[in-house]
Order: sequence, then C-alpha cells, then structure tokens
Amino acid sequence: MGWLLLAPSVLLIAGLVLYPILYNVWLSLFDKHAFLPAQAFVGLRHYQYFATDEEFWSSVRYGLVYAGATMVLQLGLGIMAALLLNEAFRGRNLLRGIVLFPYMIPTIVAVILWKWLLNDSYGLVNHLLMASGLVRTPVAWLGKDYIMWSLILTSVWQFSPFVVVTYLARLQTIPPELYEAAKVDGAGAWRRFVHVTLPQTRNVLFVIVLLRGIWMFTKFDTVWLMAGEGGVSRYVRTLPVYAYARTFTYLQAGMGAALAVIMFALLLGATALYFRLFRDEEVVA
Amino acid sequence: MAKTTTRRQFLIGTAGAAGAALLGRAPTARGQQVRELQVWHTEVEPQTVKTIQDTSIAEFERKFPGFKVRQQALGWGDLNTKLLAALAAGSPPDLTHLNPFMTASLWKKGLLRPMDELIRALGEKDIHEATLKLQFFDGKYYGVTHAMGATYIAERRDLRAQKGLKAPETYEDFLKLTAALTDDGKRHGLQMPGEKLYIGFVHPAEWLASNGGSWVDAKTWRPQLNGRAMVSTLEYLQKLNKYMPAGWSGQRYLDTLAALSTGKVAMVYLSGARTIGYIERYAPEGMRDPEHFQPMFKPRGPSGQKGISALDGENWAVFTQSKYPNEAFEFLRIFYSREHYLKYCHTVPIHLTPIFKSMLNDPEYLGHPRIQKWRTWHDFMVTGLSQGRFLPIGFSRPDDNLLPFLAELDGSGIVADLIVEVMVGEKNPKAEADRAQKRAEELLTQLGFKRWS
Repeated sequence: MGWLLLAPSVLLIAGLVLYPILYNVWLSLFDKHAFLPAQAFVGLRHYQYFATDEEFWSSVRYGLVYAGATMVLQLGLGIMAALLLNEAFRGRNLLRGIVLFPYMIPTIVAVILWKWLLNDSYGLVNHLLMASGLVRTPVAWLGKDYIMWSLILTSVWQFSPFVVVTYLARLQTIPPELYEAAKVDGAGAWRRFVHVTLPQTRNVLFVIVLLRGIWMFTKFDTVWLMAGEGGVSRYVRTLPVYAYARTFTYLQAGMGAALAVIMFALLLGATALYFRLFRDEEVVA
Repeated sequence: MAKTTTRRQFLIGTAGAAGAALLGRAPTARGQQVRELQVWHTEVEPQTVKTIQDTSIAEFERKFPGFKVRQQALGWGDLNTKLLAALAAGSPPDLTHLNPFMTASLWKKGLLRPMDELIRALGEKDIHEATLKLQFFDGKYYGVTHAMGATYIAERRDLRAQKGLKAPETYEDFLKLTAALTDDGKRHGLQMPGEKLYIGFVHPAEWLASNGGSWVDAKTWRPQLNGRAMVSTLEYLQKLNKYMPAGWSGQRYLDTLAALSTGKVAMVYLSGARTIGYIERYAPEGMRDPEHFQPMFKPRGPSGQKGISALDGENWAVFTQSKYPNEAFEFLRIFYSREHYLKYCHTVPIHLTPIFKSMLNDPEYLGHPRIQKWRTWHDFMVTGLSQGRFLPIGFSRPDDNLLPFLAELDGSGIVADLIVEVMVGEKNPKAEADRAQKRAEELLTQLGFKRWS
C-alpha cells in the first residue's frame, strides 16, 4: 500500500528527472545528428575528444571566470544591500521594492538594456564618460577586451537581488537581543557583523553560494544574448554555450549531450566537495 | 434590485456560450475540411508579408476553394533550425525558402522534389544565370530563387571624391583608401558587421572567392583554411582592423548601417539596398541621396581575378514530404505571375530584384519612386551581375552548391573564431589558420565527409 501511494511521485521523478538524464547519457554515446534520424554508436569517443579539445577547456575556463566573478560580486553587493535594507530609515519599503526590480525583468530586456547602455557608438555610458572628460575616445565595452566584464556587470545587476532578498529574510529573524548584548559588550558595527550576523546567517549563505554557483555556471541565456551570435562570443564562450553550439549549430547532438553530461558531472563533483568542506559547520550552526 | 447569478446558472451560461462559439466558427468545425498550405519564407518586412497575403495568397485561395494558405515569415537562423526540426518530425511545410548552401545537403538526403515543369513554365531562358542553376542537381531543378539582392560595400562617395581617389581594385588599394578616409577621433574608415554569420561565413567565402581560394579542395573536400588565399587575406584583414572602430566585433550589421548614415564611418563592408532605408532615415538632411552614398565593388586579393560578394537570394523548395506538393507548385506559378511578382519586388525595391532578365529593365519595375531616385544602385547591381561579381551567400565558388556541409561549417563558428582572433586578437595569421584548419578537418571527419587521406 505504501508503495502504491508513492508510485505517482516515483513515476513523476523517474519520468521528469531520471529519464532525461539517463537519455542524455545514452545519447552522448552516439554520433547523432541534431535533427535528422542518423546515428551511430561511438562509445566514449566524444569524451575522449573533449579531453584534448581546446574549445572545451577554454569554455571551462571562461565558465569558471564568469561564475566565480559574478558569484563573489553578487554576494558582496547583495549582502551589503541586505544589511542596509535591514536598517530602519524613511523610504525603506519603497527601496526594498526597487531593489527587486532587476530580478523581475526578463533577461532579454536586461541584456538589451545593457547592450544599449554600453554600445560604443551610441551608448549612454560612453557618452557620459566622454562628456566628463574621463575618456577621449569611446570604450569598446562590447569588444574583445571588455565583453567579459560587461557580461559580469549585467549578470551581477540582474541577479544580486536574489541574494538581497534571501539574505534579508534571514537577517530579519535574528533576535535583536543578540545585537544588544554585543553592544553592551562594546562591540562595534564590524564586530557585531562578524560575531553575530555572520554566524547567524551561515545557513542561508551556504544555500545562496550553492544555488548561485550552480545557476551561474549553467547560465546560458544572459551569455548567449549578450554575445552568442557575435564574433566576440569567442571571448565569453562558457560551457553551456558550447554545449548549445555543438547541438544546435554544429548539429552534433551526441557531442552536445556529452558536454551536458560533463557539465553535470563537474557540478556534482563541485557540490559534493562543497558539502564535504562546509556542511559540518553548517549543521553545527 | 441587483440580480444574483447562481453557480449552476453561471456554468450553464458559460457552456452555452462555448457551444455557440464552437458551432459558429468556420465550417471546418462542423466537418467541412479546410486544407492548409504551409508556406515559410524569409522576407520578414511587414509590407512584404502583407503584399504576399493580399496578392498571391488571395488569388490562390480564390482559385483553390477549400485551401487556406498560412504564411510564416522567419529570420534566417530561425528558418534553418525550425526546418530541420520539422523535417525530423516528418511534417515540413509544403513550400519554403531555403538558403542555397543548405539545399545540396537536403537534396542529397532525398528530401526535395524536382520542379522542372515549373521552371519551364516560368521561362527557363528568362531566369537570370546568376540564380538559374544553383539548385540544379543530376540534370533536374530543385529550387527557384525568389528574388535577388546583391551585397557590396557602401561608401560616402563625397568623401572619396574630395580625396580624389579611384574605386579600389585590390586589397592594397582598399587599404590605402580606408586609411585616407579615416579621420582620427572623428571618423573611422570602415566598419564590418560583428555577427558570426557575416564575419565567419559570408565574408570569408567572398574573400576566398576574391583571392583564388575556396572552402575545400574540389576533389577531396579537404578544408583550405590555411591555404595561401586565406592566409594572405588574414594578413590584409589584420591591417584593415586598424581603421575600424575598436568594438566592431560586438556590433551588428544594422549598427554599421546606422554608423554610415550618421557619418561615424566612411564605408561599411556589408551593404545592400536595405542601406537606402537607413540613409533616408538617419543621414543628415541634404545628404540623403546617391550623390553622398554609393555602392562599391569589393576588392580582389593578390591571387584573385575580381572582387566577389554575396548574392542574397533564397530559393523556394518543395519537400518530398510536403502534404500538398501540387498546390505548392500552383502557388509558385501565381507568386511569379507578373502582376503579383512586381508588387512583391516593389515591397523592398532593389533588395528584391526580379530574377527575370526581362524585368530588370522593365519600365514598370523601374518606375517605382525609390528605384528612380536610387537608380545608380540598381544599375550597379545589374553591372555586377553581368560581370559575374556575385556568388550565393556562403559560396566560395559556383560548385559549392554541391557541398553538403556548409551549414555545419557556418554553425561551428570555426572561421568566425579565426577571423576575430587574427583581426581583434592580433594573433599570428598563419598559426591561427593552422588551428582553424585542424578544427575544420576534425569537424568534416566527425560529419563523415572526409575524402582525403
């Protein structure tokens, strides 16, 4: 009877989670055209190929730079903003709403907005920089040298509110007596943050880092919309973009599937390591 | 007194309304079958879509009662992906535009229907040689171009005239001209589009064709990306990059047209008749004319005979899996009827140039106000056609219509990476060409097209 009750959930999980993962693994063992029904079994050949594929390793590097930089900046900015919004001041509720705005707008809108702002022919950023005399000629924000930074800036702007909201929610549940006791003990703002806020918010930080790390490493839409169709995409081609390209532009679905499996394995490994390094502390906390 | 509605009344009312709506629909809902002819094409301009609807589709539906034509206008990239997905699902449209570089691959898989009868009916001898045999395989026609639109360089003719310089013939001439037109801090000499499609496929094919090269060896299909034609072109491009805006590789084709119109650059590398629309909208008043803006042929490399550029012109195709192939061919007869076809070509004048030689100098075609004003642009295209200066998009030589892997080569971005690394990354041309060659050889091997040993 127990199994019967569990059956719908098991079926759903098997159908919606396990089957796609296993099918993807299966597909990665084939040389398969993206659309046409032509396929041949090749075993682990795709994996062997990627082990020495320069494009693959460069996409891993770009992915790590992008995910790492965006995550650190999101955390820094998000925590600072949350601490600020946790204080009492006039207009706080309005500001809390405004802070959420970037997270609520569709990615396509956010990217178009930033591409427009950063455009070196007609963008507002260059206009302001030149008008203020900070630069003499427009900076090519969307060119080779700055495209990664522009992408990071856009992503941090869009996704930091997630950190703000999540962190703020936890901040609001910290008992005020803890701060008052610390004050009585002579702790200043910094020491209160280090000795009260951080230990109290360790749980939520653990989750934020985990989720944001996974989401940024697998982020596709922002990267693709920012530079996917451009010649400059070479300098921001992360692993998800490379997997997409292999499947839908090279039309090699088998290779795309192999990249997806590798990405999954990398994330699984990183998550396991993360849990091993930090979970004990988290449980204690 | 306010009248209340019970839950039962509300449900009965809603069900009644839904039933009435269903029964009141077109006869299809009651059993009379309306067949749908699916037509996909790449002309997305609203006025073009409307004209097709009001002319060809309206007449077809009159002549074939019981048929409804459903047209879908799709951008290039969307069309290719959607088509392949539809073919895989076994339900392609009845009639579609195809890029000539994709047609061979589909024909080779036995997916296309021949259309010799239609070509004869349209007038085989009247169809321009630049397009007639692009889909001619094994003695049969498998496609017909919808219209022709040449691409070329667009220049500020007034600026060149002020410098007293002639139109460039060679890469060297073009470098000198670009340098001369660059006005530091005020205007760049040239801008290329940054999209991968152009910088990694359309232009490289032109450069190879203009410099005695080709994508692959004709017999073995071995890629030729590190051949002399490509390497000397890369060296030239690296020099050319100095006269372009620093961020060009992140800009789009339409941005380049805006930059030309507003005077930020003196020349754009990719232009067509659509440029006219930009000039008329964004150029300063008093400059929106052919005296200031003119097309220019692309230069040739040291090993080439003449500068070649891309001819934009998708072909209509009917699939073997089409549900209503006969009606698809009938639709095309109506589409190409003089009355409808002229209106179609006039929706984007010069960009949609008729494929029929007899129409190129037809007073009725030339009578359109925009063609009259920009007549030199039309004449330029006709000259280019007669001099054999155009090849279909992505072709490095006429026989490339037989290569079944150009779509994959384009999609891989291998050539885009090569060009960008050399131009923007300032990497060594030969070393990067060798790297691209290795990647291209790997790709063709993976796709099963390796014929070399």
